[in-house]
Amino acid sequence: MFASKRLGKELSKLQQNLPPGITLVEAENFSEWTMDIRVVDENPLYAGEIYRLKFSFSTSYPIEPPEVVFTQDDAHPIPWHPHIYSNGIICLDLLDRQGWSPVHNVESICISLQSMLTSNTKKERPPGDEDFVRYNKQRPRDISFVFHDNQV
Amino acid sequence: MPPGNEYAAEQLKTQGNNHFKNGEYGEAETLYSQAVQKNSKNPLLFTNRANARLKLERWEGVIDDCLRSIELMRENMKGFFYLAQAQLAINHPNEALSSALMAYELCVSSRQQTSNAATISALVLKCKKAKWDIRERERIRRRADLLSDLEQKLEEGYKRTVSDLEDRVEAGEVGAVEGSEEKASLKTDFEKKVGDLRTAFALSDPEHLEKREVPDYLVDGITFEIMHDPVVTRNGRSYERATLIEHLKRNPTDPLTREPLRIEDLRPNIALKEACTEFMEKNEGWVYDCGDGEVDVNTRWAHLSSS
Repeated sequence: MFASKRLGKELSKLQQNLPPGITLVEAENFSEWTMDIRVVDENPLYAGEIYRLKFSFSTSYPIEPPEVVFTQDDAHPIPWHPHIYSNGIICLDLLDRQGWSPVHNVESICISLQSMLTSNTKKERPPGDEDFVRYNKQRPRDISFVFHDNQV
Repeated sequence: MPPGNEYAAEQLKTQGNNHFKNGEYGEAETLYSQAVQKNSKNPLLFTNRANARLKLERWEGVIDDCLRSIELMRENMKGFFYLAQAQLAINHPNEALSSALMAYELCVSSRQQTSNAATISALVLKCKKAKWDIRERERIRRRADLLSDLEQKLEEGYKRTVSDLEDRVEAGEVGAVEGSEEKASLKTDFEKKVGDLRTAFALSDPEHLEKREVPDYLVDGITFEIMHDPVVTRNGRSYERATLIEHLKRNPTDPLTREPLRIEDLRPNIALKEACTEFMEKNEGWVYDCGDGEVDVNTRWAHLSSS
């Protein structure tokens, strides 16, 4: 409905200025964007690495949240985090239908992910990562995560 | 009305609706017309036919149907909505705007607030834009006339002086070298005057001076567009009514504080609405155009969700 208009405006803002550690890689259309993020402080878990994010928007964005996953290639690993599965799927309340709010945007999601990494000290995957990665066929937005701890 | 006619009309309407769904607007229109002959007291038959005629781009027919339907039923959101689109199509933006505003009014005051508000709100904007366009075209035409008149005067004066000069060179009053030097300086002089004149016109046009940016306080935090019917939440933030309702239908919480928030809790923000209106009046052309690379997913005619 208004997704393309809103994304158009977000894009022109992103092209003007972005907070440190966040870069726009590709936004050729209004359905899929690629962003890179890195952790700006000196957390040894993430030092020197750049992570690639894929945003997928439905036509109901920003009423509906975008689908956001980390993607892996030779230059971009999947960051270690007890809420990030090794296939790049992120368990973050903000990206869940219930936790989402339409006042969020691509930039604020990137900032939230940055701070989620910054504050983490555990080189861990979520419990059951192996099984989840092997058996999950659902799209991230259809998975209902249980948020057991909000401390991380 | 003979007994059974009401039933027959209803049957024809259902058949018409099926054709309409399949995109067979001509067939739908015929069936609705037959239904109207059986029962001319049902306002819905007229609005359905208006919708089919809208698809067939038969504007006068749309307008007739809408007016008849509204006559039968005052609180007729669809009637006003189709009417506005037809009036806009035949280039009557003033009438279209007041019809669209009626539809919007009826929509937001209805008990079941639907996503129609967003669709109608977009139509209201379209009508305002059409009004603004006409005013703007008129203004540019008047200014352009004045500018070209003045440019023509300058050019006549320049040509006259040049031809005088040529006569004097011919008559030997002025030397050939001196003559061509003076001609060159006359030419630069003339070109500079035309340039200055154009600059003056450009400067006197406030559109060129004002920064084309909508102030943040007039912008809805959800669509990032200027608001036209702002409502305020309990924490004092304002949002465009239609988009906030879309959010609240899925998730009845305040977008910022996540406190419970119901549609009934919203209040219009009248002062802000006036500020938005004033800003639009001044800048409508570009405010409306700044949909960066918008992909219009809707087909040509907007539709309301069925109620």
